[in-house]
Amino acid sequence: MAVKILRARFQNFRLLRDVEIDFSTDADKPLTVIRAENESGKTTLLVGLQWGLYGEDALPGGRDRDFRLHPINWEASAGQPSISVEIDLELSSFHKTRQGKILNRPEVFRVSRMARETLTAGKWRRDATSLTLHRRASHGWERELFPQRILDEHLSLDLREVFFTDGDDVLRFIESTDASSRRGRVENAIRSLLALDTIEAALSHIKTTSRKANAAAKNIGANESIEEVATELDQVESEIEQHESIIDDAAAELSVLDVKLAEINAEISKALMKGDKADLERRRARNDAASNEANKDKKTAEEAHSELFRSMEFSRDITAAPLQKAMDMLADLRSKEQFPKASIPLLQDVLQARVCFCGEAVHDADASSEHRRRRIQDLIENSRKADELQSVLTEVYFATNALSEISSAGASTWSEQFEAVAKRRDDLEERIDELGKEASDLDAQIRQLGDVDITLLQDSQREFAAMRDSKRDARVRSETMRANLLDQSESLKRRRDRLLREQTKGANILANLNVAQDVKDVLDRAYSRMTHEELNKVSNLMNGYFLEMIGSDPEQSSIIRRAAISERFDILVYGTDDRELNPDRDINGASRRALTLAFIMALTKVSEVAAPNIIDTPLGMMSGYVKRAVLKTLARESSQPILFLTRSEIAECEDIIDETAGRVITLTNTAHYPLMLEFPPAAAPSQVVRCDCDHHADCRICRRRAYEPIVANYI
Amino acid sequence: MTQRYHNPFSNARLVYPIDQGDYYNRFAKNQSSLRVDESPFPRMIDFWWAGLLLAARNELKPVDLNEHRTRYFATGSILDSDPWRIQYLRLIALQFKGEPESLTNHAAIIALANGLAAAGVPCVVEMLTGGDEPPIWNLSNAVERLLAE
Repeated sequence: MAVKILRARFQNFRLLRDVEIDFSTDADKPLTVIRAENESGKTTLLVGLQWGLYGEDALPGGRDRDFRLHPINWEASAGQPSISVEIDLELSSFHKTRQGKILNRPEVFRVSRMARETLTAGKWRRDATSLTLHRRASHGWERELFPQRILDEHLSLDLREVFFTDGDDVLRFIESTDASSRRGRVENAIRSLLALDTIEAALSHIKTTSRKANAAAKNIGANESIEEVATELDQVESEIEQHESIIDDAAAELSVLDVKLAEINAEISKALMKGDKADLERRRARNDAASNEANKDKKTAEEAHSELFRSMEFSRDITAAPLQKAMDMLADLRSKEQFPKASIPLLQDVLQARVCFCGEAVHDADASSEHRRRRIQDLIENSRKADELQSVLTEVYFATNALSEISSAGASTWSEQFEAVAKRRDDLEERIDELGKEASDLDAQIRQLGDVDITLLQDSQREFAAMRDSKRDARVRSETMRANLLDQSESLKRRRDRLLREQTKGANILANLNVAQDVKDVLDRAYSRMTHEELNKVSNLMNGYFLEMIGSDPEQSSIIRRAAISERFDILVYGTDDRELNPDRDINGASRRALTLAFIMALTKVSEVAAPNIIDTPLGMMSGYVKRAVLKTLARESSQPILFLTRSEIAECEDIIDETAGRVITLTNTAHYPLMLEFPPAAAPSQVVRCDCDHHADCRICRRRAYEPIVANYI
Repeated sequence: MTQRYHNPFSNARLVYPIDQGDYYNRFAKNQSSLRVDESPFPRMIDFWWAGLLLAARNELKPVDLNEHRTRYFATGSILDSDPWRIQYLRLIALQFKGEPESLTNHAAIIALANGLAAAGVPCVVEMLTGGDEPPIWNLSNAVERLLAE
């Protein structure tokens, strides 16, 4: 099967009021380049071609969304807009002759899709669309009665994304928030191009045929035992089908469960990388407790600091020098034993006895005695004062000595105590500061985690894992049953065939059954080959193209080692040590585009479907050697590459276009005058016009203004 | 428990000049709401005592409180909480009076102490406020420097 686009004409399709484009059909120079700047109809052209071939389903947003087709500046006075897209295609089918020769039978078709839209009071509606298909015959165009069927045969809707690629949307095969839809796109593309659905349908058909033949055998009824065997075989086959159905269902469900589990695992890993919320909250609580403790210690340390100004050491150290004089005086008095000593009780005894120590009388009647008595009383008074003073001095002396002893015993000074308290306070301040920072970090981490509950995710993970295990068990049970039933079936078939051989009537049925079995075996093998070998081929080819495209980028080629498609239809990229890379995050935009383009090229190549690859801005985000390598690969490997390129994409690749392009045209939007276009347009404003300028040429239609004068104005 | 010492000053009145009242209120932690760093002295008596010590160290002339309006803030019994201060008061009195006999005149000792505290408090305030840090750190640093002299 081969498809080639020859020509397309657009009328009143959005910006394309009246544009005709012819594409390269040169086998040696298959590349068509449509040079157009932004807002110059590239995407409109891409949408227009798809609408022409696939209808409403191909419009952005699909059938359910309102997507206007008529030009936005359509004037109501010009009547209702009639929109049309006309595409000439060459569709080839291959025919194998009886001699085994493959013949290519190309035929040219003209697809015409038309629509009418009614404009009323600023609103519009699409009234009807129609599709016609004509086949070119020697005498002119012949109308086909079933246009959609012919188009579907050659241009499956599933392959639309392979044939038509929007540069801005080029990453849909590898980038998606939803793994299953991304995988679905890859799987659909592969299934369509490798015709897996067709083989599956054939397999189903052959099973039905086989069962019918068996039923015919059962109905022969000539021999009782044949009928019994056939009935039993019918039951066994029916059971086999039931189990196959269970196995298929289980496989489908397992695939969904695997996806779900992978997503949950990824979510858990992501959440765990950020942190376990419960663990973070435990750490936050510990931090709180430590913080409270540290604040209590801080308060105690502050009080200890305050107590320093009440301490004896404070008094002692502050006044040590000036009080030395007083202390010396005390020491001197002590050394001279001048602390007064007296015996008040002894003197009181003398007064009571009225006789002095010297033997003289001491009483009132006698004048001399009176003198002695007064003298003794003075002595008692002075002694009392002296004793009090002595007591005070003794107390002060011993207190002072105690202070001196404390000083000399190496007890800590106030400064040492202060140093210890200051250090303690500084340490605690530091600790509180650290705890505060830790608390902020933990709070930030907890906030970042949001409401992701790892425990809940882990519960779901266990639940899905249990469902998966149970489903696997069911599948294994059915597989075992099926194996046993197949043995029984084989045995029954042998018995049946033997009995049938015994009957002439059964011979034909037997032959049919044998043929059905052979065809089934062939289809089984083909299916297995398609799903394993062909997928591997696509994978290997994609890897080859991809590495060729990014090979000259030292940054990416040092990270990326290979790319592959898994059996589950995931496009994977591996780095050093065969570590899987995430295409969304670990490789740059240019490489992601290159990977998708490599997949598209490989798939088209392996399927041996020769079809156009129409790619809008394929070289966006690329530069240098990678850009050249991608362009070279596309031009070499696609049977009909049609690339929509801006001037900046073309830059540095002119020589490749010279070598490979059979057709280069330029599209220009007249609305770009005067800001970007040099000359006033001859056509009405706000429409796209085509000229034949190639990538080296400019004309009055497409010449663009240089930017320098604008820059100069700013200077 | 029986008191092992005798406090001869227990009935004495400890006072400060009224114009120093703000300092006493600010730098002594009389209320729990005050922060230690801003009010480093645990009680008024400790602030009064620091003034006394500074006056003794700098051999300042005691302020004649007869010429000032004063505020009574505690009796001498408060010295019971730090009994060593009783002898310390006497030692300071001995240094200033130079006569052992003066130690038996308790009223004179207290009058001397009140006068010395009033003389020393401005020095303490200068230490508390002489720096960019909170008063407790200004004071601590100033005391360190003083002791290092």
